[in-house]
Amino acid sequence: MKGNVIKYERDNIDTDVIIPGQYLKVHDYAELALHAMEGLDPDFHSKVKEGDFILSGRNFGCGSSREHAPIALSHSGIKAVLALSFARIFYRNAVDGAFLLPIEIEEDAYSDISEGDEIDINIHTNEIKNITKNKIYKMKPFSEIIGKIIEAGGLFKYKPD
Amino acid sequence: MGKTLFEKIWDAHIVVEKENSPSLIYIDRHLVHEVTSPQAFDGLRMNNRSVRRPDLTIATMDHNVPTNNRTLPILDQTSAVQIQTLEKNCKDFGIQLFDINSPNQGIVHVIGPQLGITLPGSTIVCGDSHTSTHGAFGALAFGIGTSEVEHVLASQTLWLEKPKPFEIIVAGKRKNPHAVTAKDIILSIIKNIGTSGGNGTVIEYRGEGICDLSMEQRMTICNMSIEAGARAGLIAPDEKTFEYLRGRKYTPKNYESLVEYWKDNLKTDSDAKFEKKYTLHIDNIAPQVSWGTNPGMTCDVTESIPSPEDFSNGDQNQKKGAEQALEYMALKPGTPIIEIKIDRVFIGSCTNARLEDLIEASKVVKGRKLSPHVRAMVVPGSQMVKKQAEELGLDKIFTNANFEWRESGCSMCLGMNPDILSPGERCASTSNRNFEGRQGTGGRTHLVSPVMAAAAAIEGHFVDVREMDLN
Ligand code: SF4
Repeated sequence: MKGNVIKYERDNIDTDVIIPGQYLKVHDYAELALHAMEGLDPDFHSKVKEGDFILSGRNFGCGSSREHAPIALSHSGIKAVLALSFARIFYRNAVDGAFLLPIEIEEDAYSDISEGDEIDINIHTNEIKNITKNKIYKMKPFSEIIGKIIEAGGLFKYKPD
Repeated sequence: MGKTLFEKIWDAHIVVEKENSPSLIYIDRHLVHEVTSPQAFDGLRMNNRSVRRPDLTIATMDHNVPTNNRTLPILDQTSAVQIQTLEKNCKDFGIQLFDINSPNQGIVHVIGPQLGITLPGSTIVCGDSHTSTHGAFGALAFGIGTSEVEHVLASQTLWLEKPKPFEIIVAGKRKNPHAVTAKDIILSIIKNIGTSGGNGTVIEYRGEGICDLSMEQRMTICNMSIEAGARAGLIAPDEKTFEYLRGRKYTPKNYESLVEYWKDNLKTDSDAKFEKKYTLHIDNIAPQVSWGTNPGMTCDVTESIPSPEDFSNGDQNQKKGAEQALEYMALKPGTPIIEIKIDRVFIGSCTNARLEDLIEASKVVKGRKLSPHVRAMVVPGSQMVKKQAEELGLDKIFTNANFEWRESGCSMCLGMNPDILSPGERCASTSNRNFEGRQGTGGRTHLVSPVMAAAAAIEGHFVDVREMDLN
């Protein structure tokens, strides 16, 4: 999975900045996507491209249970969020609806990868390749449970083996 | 080895369990509101599914209902549509709905306990992160996303990873329980363990400081468990719990025999093991005021705004976060909290809009007047709270002091209904989140208790409510 990185160098990016409350009424996902990250970065919509990744610090997605948050990002084109850690509900929502991949990274990847870098994520080898900088970082593997839900393509498609 | 209360409730609800796989957990109660449910019902229709247990599902509208005159139509078209959609969905699928005109309407986490829907030992979910509130009754209650809402509607079950039990002991006694409240206890906990301190866990709050609290105060504690990153918060039920639920609208007929069972079973065994532990001593804690843009950025009312350097303890990201927060909040390090002037006051939300919260706040307001440059709103958590408060004359106390007395709903807790801050406005709020833009784009939120909010409304800036004469 290849794409370019949009980097937010901060912790605790919360669901209210990912998709501000006034847009929770919006039913149309394409319209929702127009307001993704608006609380933090009003330019997000104009710079994001299909297949991009977001890179951020700790506790990404803290706050509300709104599934609108991963939906708005995914309909903006974001395929994965790479963060030092995630808030639980965001992580679950992202995986359950198969909206995007929440990828936990280590400090080296966080500090090394810059805005605009092209990276290649391989969830089978748990490696992130920085094509721009020609470097490789480890990602934390998904737990067995989460891996199974991702493989199935979301919670509704998951069947116990 | 013994089990924790959380493990006992979990084990009692397992439908399918296998090593290294999610467990399928049975859900006893499902609370539904207008914002996180429309796509879930659409999903059911698309797949020709019905609601598995409409009798265990209850709906209300709270997030985007206006809190002014209820006889007027809803002006915001998208809100009106979301509300009508819920009405239609509940009708089509046979779900009990407390609509905008119902005497039982209110914030979903206020009405659940009030109606006796929330029961000890049960599993409760809702498409809202503050579902953790119901844990105050010894229920395992947590927020879920819309895909999960659909899953529960269709199957009354959920695939879950088992969280780890986390013990938080609240030790000691508060010196002035009218001024130092449950809100100050939970803000102190979050300040100390951080907004991700509880990630992956279910917190059980224990100790003298918790047993001393009333049920409504315990709900304030469990409500904010999610702000510490926890999946849920729990408090073992005791006589106060059983008494609170006696004789409510949906309290089960065989209640007393249930109480006997709960007494024997719903407690953590003395030899149970917690993965994590933290103790907060409350003998000397002060009223808390948040200064930043997450609930962990909080300090005592007697303190000054910390420098990002001091706040971060050398962690670069924390430092940056604090700098950004101070910039957004337009605050300077070293400013005493009591010198911060406010424009708005919001007494409401599922954290602090129950009858006791309003009674305590009214004691501060009684016989005084709102500071002339402040606009203050009191928004009861439910129509029932509103009615009970009016029977006690609280509405008069607030309106005589120039506070607005509103209809129930989430109101200014989140900026999705007409009650919002204007850009740059500074608000003392009894809600639970001070995120950027939470109460409206550019709005600045300081989280406080109801008595602290009331005191700030009177004085026009933060004050240490312990120094006010509350008789
Ligand atoms: S009062 Fe606030 S936190 Fe509580 S349910 Fe409503 S919006 Fe959510």
